[in-house]
Amino acid sequence: MQLAMSSSFILRQLLNLLQKQTLYVQSNSRPSPADKAIMSHMVNPLATPEQLYQRRSFSALPTELQDAIFFSTQCLTQAAGLLLQLPQSVTAQANVLLARYWLVEPMMSHEFSDISAASVYLIAKLSPYPRSPRDLALVYNYLLSPSSTFFHPSSAPTSDDSQPPQQPPPPSPPTNIPNDYYLPEHVYNSFHTRLLRCESRILYALSFDTHVSLPHPLAITYLQALDFLNTSKSTISKRTLPYLNTALLSPQMLYLTSQPNALAVAAIYNAAKDVGAKMPECEWWEVFDVDREELGFLVVGMRSVDAWGRKMREDVERMKAGTGSGSKRGGMITRRDIEGELRRRGISLGNGDDDGGITGVGSEEPVDMEAEMARRMDEKMAEIEGSAS
Amino acid sequence: MTGKGKSRWADSAEDAALEAQLKKEKEEKKRLKAEKARKAEAEKKKREAEAAAAAQRQQQQQQQTGDDDDANGPPAKRRRLSPDRDAAAAAPTASSNDSSKLLRFEGGRFGKCRSVENYDKLNDIEEGAYGWVARAREIETGKVVALKRLKIDPKDRSGLPVTGLREIQILKDCSHRNIVKLKEVVVGDDTSKIENIFIVLEFLEHDLKSILEDMPEPFLASEVKTLLLQLCSGIAYLHSHYILHRDLKTSNLLLNNRGQLKIADFGMARYVPDPPPPKLTQLVVTLWYRAPELLLGAARYGPEIDMWSVGCIFGELLTREPLLQGKNEVDELTKIFELCGLPTDESWPGFRRLPNARSLRLPSSSSSSSSSSKPPSTGGLIRAKFPLLTAAGVSLLASLLSLNPSRRPTASEMLEHEYFRQDPKPKQEAMFPTFPSKAGQEKRRRRETPNAPQRGQKVQDLGQVDFSSLGGIFGSGREREERGGGFSLRMV
Ligand SMILES: Nc1ncnc2c1ncn2[C@@H]1O[C@H](COP(=O)(O)OP(=O)(O)OP(=O)(O)O)[C@@H](O)[C@H]1O
Ligand SMILES: [Mg+2]
Repeated sequence: MQLAMSSSFILRQLLNLLQKQTLYVQSNSRPSPADKAIMSHMVNPLATPEQLYQRRSFSALPTELQDAIFFSTQCLTQAAGLLLQLPQSVTAQANVLLARYWLVEPMMSHEFSDISAASVYLIAKLSPYPRSPRDLALVYNYLLSPSSTFFHPSSAPTSDDSQPPQQPPPPSPPTNIPNDYYLPEHVYNSFHTRLLRCESRILYALSFDTHVSLPHPLAITYLQALDFLNTSKSTISKRTLPYLNTALLSPQMLYLTSQPNALAVAAIYNAAKDVGAKMPECEWWEVFDVDREELGFLVVGMRSVDAWGRKMREDVERMKAGTGSGSKRGGMITRRDIEGELRRRGISLGNGDDDGGITGVGSEEPVDMEAEMARRMDEKMAEIEGSAS
Repeated sequence: MTGKGKSRWADSAEDAALEAQLKKEKEEKKRLKAEKARKAEAEKKKREAEAAAAAQRQQQQQQQTGDDDDANGPPAKRRRLSPDRDAAAAAPTASSNDSSKLLRFEGGRFGKCRSVENYDKLNDIEEGAYGWVARAREIETGKVVALKRLKIDPKDRSGLPVTGLREIQILKDCSHRNIVKLKEVVVGDDTSKIENIFIVLEFLEHDLKSILEDMPEPFLASEVKTLLLQLCSGIAYLHSHYILHRDLKTSNLLLNNRGQLKIADFGMARYVPDPPPPKLTQLVVTLWYRAPELLLGAARYGPEIDMWSVGCIFGELLTREPLLQGKNEVDELTKIFELCGLPTDESWPGFRRLPNARSLRLPSSSSSSSSSSKPPSTGGLIRAKFPLLTAAGVSLLASLLSLNPSRRPTASEMLEHEYFRQDPKPKQEAMFPTFPSKAGQEKRRRRETPNAPQRGQKVQDLGQVDFSSLGGIFGSGREREERGGGFSLRMV
C-alpha cells in the first residue's frame, strides 16, 4: 500500500517542514503593504482578555489537558494540510481559525479531529485550493488509523534527534491519495455529516468572519527593508518562517494575542539572534510598530514552543497508554482519551458520549453553553469569595 | 424638466396611512419581543459583568500571593488577563502614552453570532426564487436595517455556499461610503443546526432599477454624473483592494433619500489578485451587463469586466432602459456588435484565440484593412443612440464599451474624465430629488431582468454563430465612414 509505505515519513516531514520551511507559498501573499489601505487588511481580530481568561479558568478541563488537545490537534491539522497538498498559507489559516473557535466554544463539544477537518475544509473552500469532503475523509481516516505514524510513540523523535538545519529537504509528500485506501461508505457518510455540522458551528461561533492575515508575507517584506551587516538575508529568512510556523502549534495562541506585524518582527528577531546576525543598533522594531514589551513577550513565547512540543507529546502518549487504546487506534488524542484521563483524576464532565475518531457516531448535542458557563462562574465566584474571607 | 431641489414626488397620503397601520399592527408584537430581548440582554450583561469582576479579583489575588505556578508554562501567561486591550481605540491610532507614536492596529474581535430575534421584520423588500430581503428594525436601538437571507440549499452536500461566505467576508473587509455596510451576521434561534443565516445591512430606501422603472422623466445630466461618480469611486475602492464585483447592474445599486449611492449584492464578488489567476468562472455577471470577453469564454479576466457593466449602467441611466437586452448569449453578443461594431485584429488583438471566438463567422478581414487608417470606434453609433449626451459623455461611454478590455478606462481613470468637469456639474447629493420608497412599504414584484448566473450552471457554448451578415451593416469601411459624421466630436 502506497500510502502506508509513505506513512513512516509523514511525521518527520511534518516536523521538518515546520522547522525549516522556506518555500512559503507566495500565492496568498498580497503585494507590498506600503499602502495604508492594504495595511488595514493585515490585521486580525484578537482574543479579548475575557475570552482568554474564561478558557483558562472556567473550563472543566485542566489547563494541561487543554494544551495537549490544542497541540495535538494543531499538529493533526498541519499533517492533514500536507497530505492534502495544501500550501502552508492555507493550512496555517486553518490553524488560526481553529484556535479562535476554541476560545468561543468548549473543546469537548465536538471531536477534535472533526473540528480540525472542518477548519481545513472551510479555509480550503474559500482559497484557490478547495478540497472535497471525500479528500478530507480519506486523509483524516488515514491519519487517525493505527497504520498512520501520526503521533505514534515509535515515530517520536527523541530530544537529541532534533533536526540540524543543514539536513537535505524531506522527500516530497505522496503525489496522490490512493483511492484504494479503505473507507467504508457509511463511515464516509457519517464523517461528511459531522464535517458539515462542524463547519457551520465554526462559522456561527466566529460570526462568519473567516479572515486570517498571516505574518509570513510581512516577515519577508520586513526582511527586505532590514540590513543585517554580517549575514545574508536568505540565511535569516530560512530561520524566520519556522518560528512563525511552530508558533501556530503553541497553546499560548500567539496568533490570537498579537497582530501579524508583531509576530513577523519577533520571528525575525529570533532568527537573527540564532545565527548571530548583527542587528541594527536602534530600536528597529519600532519602525514596524512593535513595542519592546510585546516583542519580548513574543520572542520568549516563540522560543519555548519546541520544549513545549516535546512535553506535550509525552503527555499525549502517557494518556493514550493509560486508556490502553493506543494500539487499536491511531495516535491522535480523542475525546474518549480525555474522558478516561478525567475519570482517572476523578473529574467529571457532563457530556461527550462520542466514541471519537472518524467512526464516531455519537450524538452531538452541544451542551447549553451559556447555562453551563453561568453555573461554573457561580461556582468560581463562591470559591473566590470563600477563600477571600 | 424639474430642477427643483426638493422632492419630486412627496410620499402620498396612502403611503402614510399604510405606514401608520403597519406600525400599529406591529406595536403589540414588538413590545412583547422587546421585553424578551431586554431581559435576555440584561441577563447576559449581568453575567459578563460578573465574569469581568471575577477576573479582576482573581488577578489581584494572584498578584498579592505572587504565585508563580507556571514556571514551565508559557511565559508571561497572565500578561493578557487584564482587559487593557479594551482601552485601545479604533485603529490605527497612535498610542497616547508612547513617545515613539507606534501605530496600533485594531482588527476587532471574534465571537458568536447574535440571533435574528434581535430584529423585528417590517416588510419584505424582495422575495424571489433565490433571494429574500426584508426591512427590519433592531429592537434594542430602533434602527432600521435590511436583512438578507443567505441562499442555502440543504441538499447541497458541500456545506455552506462559498459565494455566500465570500459575500460576507468581502463586505466585512470593505469600508467605503459607496459600498453598502454590513452590520453583522445573525442566525435563526435554533443554533444546533445553522440553517437560517441573515446578513444585516444598512437600509437604503431604493435600488436604482426600481427608480428607473417608475420615474416619469429620466435623470438630469447633473444627476447622472453624481450617480456615476459615486458608482465609480466605490468600484475604484473595490479594485484597489483586488475585489471584483462581477454582478454590477442597476438592481444591485442602492440609493438612499440623501442622494447617496451604494454598491450592494456581493454574491458574485471575489478577491482576484493582479495578474489574475488563469482560471476563473465565466458564469458571472447578469447577461445584459456581461462583457464581450466573458461571452467569448475568457477564463482569465480582470476588473475590466466591471467597467463594461458600468458602461451598460451609464446607458441605462440615460434612457431608463437596459442598454443591451439580449435574449441569450448569442443574442447578447449580436446586440453588442450591433452597437459597438465587430472586433478586428487591430482593435482587439488576440480576440480570435478566445474559446468561443472560433465559432464566430466574422466578415472577411479585408474590411478591417480598409478601416485600418483609423481605429474602429463605437462613438458614432453611441452618439446616434444618445443624442442628448455631450461629446465628452459619448467619449466616456464609448471607451467603457470598448470590446477590447484593455481599452476600457480603469475606475480611477474614469473619475478623472473630462465629462465630470464639464457643465452641467455633478449635482450635490443633498440636492437630489427623493423618490417614493418601495422598499419601505410594499412587497416588490419580481423583475423581468435576467438573473445572475447560478453555480453549477453550464457554461454556454455559443455554437456556430454567423456574424457575416452584420458585416453588411457595420463591417465595411464605407459604412463606417458614412456613419462617422460625428467622429470628429468623439475622442478627446
Ligand atoms: N441594504 C438594502 N437596503 C434596501 N434594499 C436592499 C438592500 N439590499 C438589497 N436590497 C433590495 O433587495 C434586492 C435584492 O438584493 P440583492 O441583490 O443583494 O440580493 P440577491 O439575492 O442577489 O437578489 P437577486 O438575485 O435578485 O440579485 C435589491 O435589488 C434591493 O432592491
Ligand atoms: Mg441582486
